[in-house]
Amino acid sequence: MTEQLFRSALSPAAWALLACVPPAIFALYFLKLKRAPLEVPSTLLWSRAIEDLRVNSLWQRLRRSVLLLLQLLVVGLAMLALLRPGWQGQQLAGERVALVIDHSASMQATDGPAGVTRLAAAKARATELVEQLPSGASAMVVAFHDKARVVQELTDNRRRLREAIASIEPSARRTDVRGALELVEGLATTGQSKRRADTGPAIDAAGQPDPKAPPKPAATAGDAQRVTATAVLLSDGRFAPTEEFAAGGLEVVYLPMGRADTPNLAVTALETRAIEGTTRRTAYVEVANYTAKSVDAVVELRLDGALLDAQRLTVAADSAAGIAFPIGEPSPGTLEARLSKGTLAAAGDKLSVDDVAYAAINPLRRGKALLVTPGNVALEQALTTARAKLLAEVATLAADAADDASKVEGYDVVIYDRVAPKGAPRANAVYVGVLPPSAAWRERATKSPTVVAPRIIDWSRVDPLLASVELGNFDVVESLVVPPPAGGRTLVDAAEGPIVSIAPRDAFRDLVIGFAILVEQDGRVQRNTDWINRHSFPTFWLNVLEQFAARSSAESSAVRPGEVVELSPIAPSTTDLDVTLPSGAAERLARRAPDPFVLRSTDATGVYRIAEGGAADRRVAVNLFDPQESDVRQAAAGPGDGADEEAGTAAPLRLGDLLVAASEAGATVRVDAWKPLLVAALCLVVAEWWVYHRRIAA
Amino acid sequence: MPTTDLLPADLVTRLERLELVTRKVFRGRMKGERRSHRKGQSVEFADFRNYVPGDDLRALDWNLYARLDRLIVKLFLEEEDLQLALLVDASPSMGFGEPTKLEFAKRVASALGFLGLARGDRVRVHTLAGKQSPPLRGRVSVPRLVEFLGGLAPEESTDLAEGVRRFCLNARGKGVVVLMSDLLDKQGYEQALRYLVAQRVDAYVLQVLSPEELDPAVVGDLRLVDCEDGDAAEVTVSGALLARYKRTVGAFTAGAQEFCGKRGMTHLLARSDDPVEDLVTRAFRKRGLVG
Repeated sequence: MTEQLFRSALSPAAWALLACVPPAIFALYFLKLKRAPLEVPSTLLWSRAIEDLRVNSLWQRLRRSVLLLLQLLVVGLAMLALLRPGWQGQQLAGERVALVIDHSASMQATDGPAGVTRLAAAKARATELVEQLPSGASAMVVAFHDKARVVQELTDNRRRLREAIASIEPSARRTDVRGALELVEGLATTGQSKRRADTGPAIDAAGQPDPKAPPKPAATAGDAQRVTATAVLLSDGRFAPTEEFAAGGLEVVYLPMGRADTPNLAVTALETRAIEGTTRRTAYVEVANYTAKSVDAVVELRLDGALLDAQRLTVAADSAAGIAFPIGEPSPGTLEARLSKGTLAAAGDKLSVDDVAYAAINPLRRGKALLVTPGNVALEQALTTARAKLLAEVATLAADAADDASKVEGYDVVIYDRVAPKGAPRANAVYVGVLPPSAAWRERATKSPTVVAPRIIDWSRVDPLLASVELGNFDVVESLVVPPPAGGRTLVDAAEGPIVSIAPRDAFRDLVIGFAILVEQDGRVQRNTDWINRHSFPTFWLNVLEQFAARSSAESSAVRPGEVVELSPIAPSTTDLDVTLPSGAAERLARRAPDPFVLRSTDATGVYRIAEGGAADRRVAVNLFDPQESDVRQAAAGPGDGADEEAGTAAPLRLGDLLVAASEAGATVRVDAWKPLLVAALCLVVAEWWVYHRRIAA
Repeated sequence: MPTTDLLPADLVTRLERLELVTRKVFRGRMKGERRSHRKGQSVEFADFRNYVPGDDLRALDWNLYARLDRLIVKLFLEEEDLQLALLVDASPSMGFGEPTKLEFAKRVASALGFLGLARGDRVRVHTLAGKQSPPLRGRVSVPRLVEFLGGLAPEESTDLAEGVRRFCLNARGKGVVVLMSDLLDKQGYEQALRYLVAQRVDAYVLQVLSPEELDPAVVGDLRLVDCEDGDAAEVTVSGALLARYKRTVGAFTAGAQEFCGKRGMTHLLARSDDPVEDLVTRAFRKRGLVG
C-alpha cells in the first residue's frame, strides 16, 4: 500500500540530510534573539504593555509561532513532494487520445439518468476525460455515424476540445464504426498528422475526409514514425460486428453507453404498393418490438396529418409483425405511420426517431419509355400491351434521330434496338443487339466475337428483370458476347459467354441484350430468335418497363438518413428545384444542365417536398428503417465473450480480430501529486511572507 | 529681576499679573496679603459674637452695647501669608526627554515660586530625596529660588512614597503643595498621594512625561533597561505592541487623574516639551492655582 502511494526520489543519504532541515528551522527559531539595549526612564509601562500580552499567552504564543508553523509546513510539503506520492488513477494513458463519439440514431435513446440521451451522457463522459487528460497529452475529437468526421484536430487546448465535444449534434443516421476507427488510426498514429494539426490548417470538418482511405504515406522517414494512440470509443455498440479491421498502432478503449434493458418499439417498414391492375393502393407497415415482452401496438396511419386508419397488432417479444392498410386511391401527400402514444408509453419506448415512418405519395405519373428503332414490330407490340400501358407510355423514334439529344431527353428508359448512339442518354438504357457507347463495355466485348447459335445455359432467376421469365425454350441465331464491365453482372449466360448483362452507369443502369430480335437481311426482315413466340418475351419487356420506367416514377421510401438522392427533373429545361426539408427549412438545388439534381441534406427523417417550377410537387421520404439502430438494447456480455461476466456488463466489441472489452473508465495510470504539493508549498511561502510583513508593518 | 534659563524675562513679565490662589484658606505664620479664616486685625468686618472675659476690649462694639445693653465683640478677618511647597522629583528617570523632565519641572517650579514670592507668600522647594531650600519670602528671594532650582540635578533613585512621606513629616503648616514627578514608580504612586491627602494641603500633582514616553519612536527587537533599578524588559516592538503601549500610558495617566480627582487633588499631565508659560498661565489658571 505504502509502496503504491509513495515512490522515493532521493537516496537514503539525501533523506537523512533532508530530515535535518525541520529541526534546524526549529532550533533557529528558538535561538536567543540578539536585542539592542536601550535605556528608558522606566520599564514600568513597557512591562505593563507586555503583561497584557502575557494575559493571552497561549494565543500569543501561537501567534508568535505562526511563522514557525508555516515554515515547517513548507518543508513538510516539499518533503512529501519528494516522496512522489501518487495513486492509481483512472486517467487516459497515451500521448494522443482520440475521443470517438458515436452520434448515430441509437444514441438518441433516452435511457440515461433523468432521461438524458446516450449522446448527452457520452458527451459528458468525454468532457470528463478531457478534464482528466494528463498535461502534455493531446487529444482529438471524432464524431461518427455512418460517416466519420474530425470535429477537433489533435490539440492540447482543453477549451477547444470541450467546445468540439459540445458541438456534436444528434443524428438519425446509421453507424459505421470501422470508418471512424480507420480515420482515427490514420490521423492519430502518424507523426504527419500531429504536425499538420500543429501547424497546418484544420481539416475542414464538413469536408468529410474519406474514412476508407488508408493513411497517407508519410513524406519523410521521420514522419513515418508511428506513435501509439488511444481511441476512446464512446458508443452504445449498436452496429454490426466489424470485419477486416486492423487496429495498427491504435489502442481501442470502449466506454459503453446505455443499458441492456432499454425498451424500444420501432416502425421498421412503411411501403405502399398498387393493387395489381388497379390504381388503388395498400400501405404495409412493419412494427418491431425490441422489448422483453409481447406488445399490443396501435399503429395510426395519417395522410398529411389527417387520420386515415388505426389498427392494433400484437408483436411478440424480439420480433416484428406487419400489417396492411388498404388506403384506396390516396391523393398525393405524406403518409405517416405512427405508433400511438399509449402504445409507446406502455412499452416505455426510449427512442423516438423510429416511432414514426413516412412514405411519399406522389402524383400518379406513368413512366416514359422511348424506343429507338429502325422498325421492330415484335418489340413495339410487346411494349404496348394493356398492362404495359399502365406502367409506361412508350414513344418511338426513328433510328436516324438517335443522336439528337433533345429528342432523347426526358424519358425514364431509352431502348436502342440495333441502333448504337454516340453518347449514352441521361436515362436508363436498353441496348438490343448493339453495344453501349461507353468504352468499358466495348473494351470487354471486342475480345469476344459474335457467336452463332449460342446455347443458353443459365440465367439469373432472382433478378426482378427476369422474374417469371423462362429462357430455356428458344433459340438465338447470332449474338454478341457482352461481358459486363466492373460493377455489372450477367443476367443470361450462354455456353460461349454472357449474352445479357446489366451494369450501372451513374444513377442509371444499362441493360445490354447481345442478340437482336429481328434482323434485316437481304432487304427482308427476319427473326433472329424465336423468343418472340414465347410468353416470356412480353413478360420480360413488362419487367423492363416496371423496373426502368415505372420504378423511377414511383414513390421511394428506401432513402435512409444521410443518403444522397438524385432527382431527375420532369422538364428537361429545369435548372433549379426548391426543396422543403422536414424541419420546414427551404433549400434550393441547382444543377449543371444534363446532370440530375442532387439532394444531400437528408439527415433528418421525414418527407422532403420538391417543387419544380413552383408547380409540380414531388416528395421523398427518408426513414431510419434499421434494426441495428432501433434495437437500442445494449448487448450484454455472454459467457463466451471473455469479458467480465458480471451482470450489466456490456458485451465486448469485435473489431476485426480484435475483441475490445467494455471498460467503465480509462486505463489506470499512476497519478502523481507532487506538482500540486509544490504549488501548495509555494502558496505557503507567500502566506508566510504576508504574515511576516503584516506583523512588522501593523 | 533675574533672567535665567529657568525664569526668562518675558515669562516674568507675564507672571507679574498673576498670583497664587488656593481653594482652601490656611493659617499662615505671618500677616500677609491673603485673607484668613482667623478673625484678626484687618479692616474687613467678619462677624459679631458675645463677649467672653479675656477678649480684647478694643473690639467691643460700643454702639451695640448702648443699644442692647449687652457686650458684643466685633470680629475682623485676619489677612495671612500662604505657604507654597514645590515638591520636585529629581530621580534619574526625570533626566530623560528633550528637554529633560527635570528641567521642565524646574522651570515650572521657578514660575510658580516667582508667583508666590512676588505676592509675599512663603515658598519652599523640596526634592524627594530630602533636599530642601530654605524658606523663601519676598521678591528679594527670587534669585535664591532660581539658584536652588538651578543646582538640582538627577540624583540617586528615590522611592516616591518615601520621599513624599519625608516631606510631609518635615513640612509643618499647611498650604499649597505642587508635586512635580513622572509618577513612574514601580511601587505605585498611590501611597505617596495618600500621604499628601492626609496632610490636608491643597495638593497639585503635575505629572511630567517626555515625548519619548508618550509616543515612543522605537522599533525592532530591543532590550529595555530601567535607568533606576537596572531592570530589563525584552520586547519586540511592532505596531501592535506600540499601540498597546500607548493604551497602557493612557490608562496610567487616566488612572492617576482619577485617583487625584477622587481625593480632592488636582492632576495635570504635561509633556516635557510643552511651553512652561502655557502651562502656568493656562493650565494652572484653569485649575485654580493661579489667578
